[in-house]
Amino acid sequence: MNLYMGKMLMVDLSAESVTTEPLRAEWLREYWGAWGLALRYYTDAVSPEIDPLAPENVVVIMTAPLCGTLVPLASRMCLVSKSPHTGTIFESNVGGSFGPELKYAGYDGIIIKGRASAPVFLKIDNDRVSLESAEHMTGQGIFETEKLMEAAIGAHGAKTLAIGPAAENMITYSMIGSESYRQFGRGGTGALFGSKNLKGIVCRGTGAVRVADMSRFLERTDHYTKNDLLCDDNLWAKTDGTPILVEVTNEMGIHPTRNYTKGFNGRKEQLNSDAIQAAKLGNRACASCPMACGKFTRVNSAEIEGPEYETLCLGGSNCDIHDLEAVIRFNRLCDDLGLDTMTCGSTISLAMEMTENGVHNFNLRFGQVDEYLKVVYEIATLSTERGRDLAKGAKHLAAKYGAEELSMEVKGLEMPAYEPRGNFGMGIAYATSERGACHLRAFPIFATDPHDIDALVSDVVDAQNANSIKWSLGFCDFWGTVNTSIEADLMSAGLGEAVSAEELDRAGERIWTLSRLFNLAAGFTAADDTLPKKIMERPLEGGRHEGRVFSRADLARAMQSYYELRDWSAKGIPSSRKLAALGLETTTL
Amino acid sequence: MKKELFANPDLCTGCNRCTLACSANKEGVFQPSKARMRVTNFPLRGFSVPNICFQCPKANCLEVCPTDAMFRGADGVVRLNRDLCSGCGACVTACPYGMVEQDAKGIPYKCDLCDGDPACAKECHSEALVHTTGDAALFQLKAAQMKTRHNSGTPLEKRHKVAEALKRNSRG
Repeated sequence: MNLYMGKMLMVDLSAESVTTEPLRAEWLREYWGAWGLALRYYTDAVSPEIDPLAPENVVVIMTAPLCGTLVPLASRMCLVSKSPHTGTIFESNVGGSFGPELKYAGYDGIIIKGRASAPVFLKIDNDRVSLESAEHMTGQGIFETEKLMEAAIGAHGAKTLAIGPAAENMITYSMIGSESYRQFGRGGTGALFGSKNLKGIVCRGTGAVRVADMSRFLERTDHYTKNDLLCDDNLWAKTDGTPILVEVTNEMGIHPTRNYTKGFNGRKEQLNSDAIQAAKLGNRACASCPMACGKFTRVNSAEIEGPEYETLCLGGSNCDIHDLEAVIRFNRLCDDLGLDTMTCGSTISLAMEMTENGVHNFNLRFGQVDEYLKVVYEIATLSTERGRDLAKGAKHLAAKYGAEELSMEVKGLEMPAYEPRGNFGMGIAYATSERGACHLRAFPIFATDPHDIDALVSDVVDAQNANSIKWSLGFCDFWGTVNTSIEADLMSAGLGEAVSAEELDRAGERIWTLSRLFNLAAGFTAADDTLPKKIMERPLEGGRHEGRVFSRADLARAMQSYYELRDWSAKGIPSSRKLAALGLETTTL
Repeated sequence: MKKELFANPDLCTGCNRCTLACSANKEGVFQPSKARMRVTNFPLRGFSVPNICFQCPKANCLEVCPTDAMFRGADGVVRLNRDLCSGCGACVTACPYGMVEQDAKGIPYKCDLCDGDPACAKECHSEALVHTTGDAALFQLKAAQMKTRHNSGTPLEKRHKVAEALKRNSRG
């Protein structure tokens, strides 16, 4: 087969069995790969009411067709399951090299179900696949676990997915780490592994990914790399990486500060791109990426690949922490113990605000570094009362102490580092994302008018559809100018079959809509397409949009406009006409 | 002046576009395990080493070849004449850098600098791999990389040891 390996690895941990199945060819031209294909496999395998942490739940890990080739920024791998943090359908994707390695080993993806009776890891050495005891790895952090798994396969350079103690403790915002500093970050992917007693996966693959016509494929790849990717709109990733957003969002007045109280941080210079460049040892890249947006930094003895923008803000500014070394240490602790830095940072900032407001004393205060670092370990290991409290995440922590108005999340997923009061588009994106507050579905921060609701709704819908297919083809967010015409041309060259931009556009909308159907069947309603109370009621302080709220009335208008544009009912249910147009009328959940 | 391939680990991002380009060029597929140059990654330390064939002036692979299948071309590049090769694998064992490997039939493969226009260097966007006549700094870098020689282990193990030594020098 061209581009695909044609084979899925089926792991049943309860039965301790590993088998292979041919790839479902009938789904490829509708769901393509990664997110879409994983979603199709997932919805086929489970019922939407499933308990995410039950053995019956399934985890689908899927590569994309261009993964493992020279097409740049197209080797990301997706994980789809139901999130233990939000209860929604959930897609998370990771860069690095595990995806390509899995394909070289001969598999497009892995489907995992059941629960092992004792901790195990999955060893994939080309066609030799086995479940091995992970007893000796129990309690180990991700970095050590990766080392032990690499040793177990006996080949330097084997690629890994691993969990740390946070995931073993099934904390709902624990993550799966890969190659030390890359993650299936959000939504509790780690807890899914933890609930299955699966400590990790190590993979070595020495096979090949084939394309229909290599010289044409290379010519097309080179053309788009030179004439589209490596152009002004995208080069920030190469020069600065995501820390550039610290200045950008402050300038826009949408830089969350002190648990989303302010939209501007007067001490931003200590965590901006210049600060990162001053601490940088080198640039790091995912497989097949010429941009190398990862900045490897060291301050005193603390080193890390990162911190990325979300961590600089949610673990920095939003906690009123302005010490780069502290943020690096926070980031490294999260990466090793296995916590999502975004949710962790946001939950800590909530606890800081609750402490300072007198709601409850967690002994955590804005700008106080020592306790901020100490509590990360307490969360991951559930070793103290406050650690156990914060391990619940913002929504449940706030609810426990009656401080719902301070919890900054949508559908239980803590907000990314872009303030919706200063940019209504981000609010609309958060309210309508299938996985809760997320910036990777639509990212309208550069809109001409950040408060023009109708224009922003339209931007958000277009971006959600475009990103649904973009993530399904394994592309990275940071090829910002890629579109379905480019994607179709590259896919055509690789497959040796004509692929049109129109069918990819339609696939994007299909994938988005199928996610919606799953959430509706799981019990979510239009009432869940909402924003945190603070965003709707409390005026933003500081920065360009001082005094703004994203009012309930504005949100209601936005949602009405959004549902209409999508041809969904006023209750947010896709019309049968829309389902028929997308070929979803017979898809049962 | 003759051009040579130089590797600078401090500039390598670990992206592996070089090994993808090499395998596409040499094998017609994307298969880094068959690339004639490789990358050793140390993700935790943020360090990667491009492992290259140095086309050694005193080439062990060539010297040990019992059938004269390995030979040096007029351009200084060490190549294999497949017709003369017995598949004994002595060259694989002899290379101290792990840069000669055997295919499924036992036939060795190694870097031939793509006949003067290496695909790997063309795909390197960080200038960690350059094909140039070189300057003092580059020759010094190359000499330092060639210093660590290993007589035992698989090619993968040798490449890893070479890379470890370079990592220690750079990252501590």
